[in-house]
Amino acid sequence: MPKIMTLICERSCDLKSITEDDSQFKGMPDCYFVKFPCSGMIQPLMIEAALKNGADGVVVTGCQIGDCYFREGNKMIRERLLGERTPGLKKAVDRRRVIGLWLSRMQPQRLLSEIKDFSAEVSKLPAEVKPEAKPAAAKPVAPKPVVEAPSVVVAPAVEAKAEEKPEPKLEVKPESTPEAKPESTPDAKSE
Amino acid sequence: MAQQQKVYTDPVNNLTLWLEDITNKVLTSKYNPFYYHGALPQFFLWVLFLSGLLLFAYYVPTIDSAYSVQHVINAFTSVDYITNTIPFGNVVRGIHRYAGDAMVLTILLHAIRVWFTDRYRQYRWVQWVTGVGCLLFVLVIGQTGYYLVWDERSLVLTRMTVTAFEALPVIGPACKSLFLNGSAITNLTLSNFLFIHVGLSFFLLFGLWLHYVRMARPVMTPPPVINYALMAIVLAFVFAIPIYMGQPAVLTSQPSAFDIDWFFLFPYYMLTTMSPGVFWVVAIGVLALFTCMPLPFINNMASGQIEPFAAAEVVNDKCTGCSFCDKDCPYEAIEMVPAPAGSRFKLRAVVLSYRCSGCGLCVGACAFDAIDLPEQPDAQVTNKIKSLLSQS
Repeated sequence: MPKIMTLICERSCDLKSITEDDSQFKGMPDCYFVKFPCSGMIQPLMIEAALKNGADGVVVTGCQIGDCYFREGNKMIRERLLGERTPGLKKAVDRRRVIGLWLSRMQPQRLLSEIKDFSAEVSKLPAEVKPEAKPAAAKPVAPKPVVEAPSVVVAPAVEAKAEEKPEPKLEVKPESTPEAKPESTPDAKSE
Repeated sequence: MAQQQKVYTDPVNNLTLWLEDITNKVLTSKYNPFYYHGALPQFFLWVLFLSGLLLFAYYVPTIDSAYSVQHVINAFTSVDYITNTIPFGNVVRGIHRYAGDAMVLTILLHAIRVWFTDRYRQYRWVQWVTGVGCLLFVLVIGQTGYYLVWDERSLVLTRMTVTAFEALPVIGPACKSLFLNGSAITNLTLSNFLFIHVGLSFFLLFGLWLHYVRMARPVMTPPPVINYALMAIVLAFVFAIPIYMGQPAVLTSQPSAFDIDWFFLFPYYMLTTMSPGVFWVVAIGVLALFTCMPLPFINNMASGQIEPFAAAEVVNDKCTGCSFCDKDCPYEAIEMVPAPAGSRFKLRAVVLSYRCSGCGLCVGACAFDAIDLPEQPDAQVTNKIKSLLSQS
């Protein structure tokens, strides 16, 4: 079974009925989740970390687009996944392994069925395209500052530019009609 | 955390979610009017400004000989001219009337939704308090609109307002003479009504600025399709229930009965059932109660809980001053300030904690792990992701 990591807004699907502890769904041994106060908090870096550390797919779940309890959080992470807003996912990330779902609190069963479908799709993908296979030393490293050394030495301008390019292949399911099943071909785009 | 769960299973919130789920199934979330509840009254405001401008062109704010002949130009006959002589004049008047009603209705929808979904307090108290103020403004503006027609209803309403003001202690006489622009109903009274009606409408824009001031990118325009639908509904009412005029106001007469518009004129219904003194106590009390709703102790009485949240914190060593968090913050709670001397960067982010909602959107915007929610630092999240994945 492929490992699926779900990053979920705690105001989105009501997880109480479908989870057994604070990290796993009932009856789905290889599916884990981490809760966030808002899906807008999810960093693309976290998605990359999950894929790098053995997840075969990442499900990003927020509230219905248009209905963020705070403001705009789900729109922001959606735009980040689509490459329309910085910071986005790195180019090396296999876009077929990331999926966005926008569900209200009353749709926990839909979340489970989507995760199952996604898991089936991911298991068909060839294993070698995982980003961990890529060498990680390609980043430009700024020279050591003389005065006080900040712990991060990535030059910001270069980093931001590399991520600004739109990523056309990302699969984001239509958030609109809750009962309509989106097509499940791996590289189907809805936008 | 256990306390927060209680909020999520709030029955009234479930009701709104259920309603919005149905609407989403019919209209899709892109065209769900519930997701533009704040923008709907804003749309009607523009409709009212435009139709009001057309009415303003022909309106004559005097009461000259209102009781003698038809051919004298005064407030009543000018409204009559707009209604019956100018092509589509009655349609414009109808749009102005029904768009006003629709604005009150949509404001109430807006208020009820933010109330039921618990989106009115804490970091949003400014929006709630200014919203209550704006609603009061809209009601007063709508009522003065009814005075301007200067039919018998206008006369009754004016007299009832004067009686109500007379009951106020200390400021009563001043209110009365400000309202009538003198001590009795004269030509100056009508020009004062017109000033209140139009002047307050523009002051409402200032109120809306306060309403939006902490909101980055406020949703002010629904999709055009929703606008067309709203306009079609208003026009349907205009043609289905055409508006009419009563008899011209005669200052020597004592008309007593009038048709009531429940959206604007309910305070006058209250005035007919209670004495003016009681009316002021009830009106000011209700207004104060709604204004104070975001106060924590009232919330505790209502829902038995507070859930404190911690504002985001900038990790000064890591902040590069890229200002992504500043741009993305939906509450304008982040400020970019000059970085201290010796820093490699020009700017540094600072969180204005009194505006912060603790939503963590800035964390998602940061590519350098330089901003954290104290309750859930991103390093902890990443570690949790790693440890979960390495379990099996």
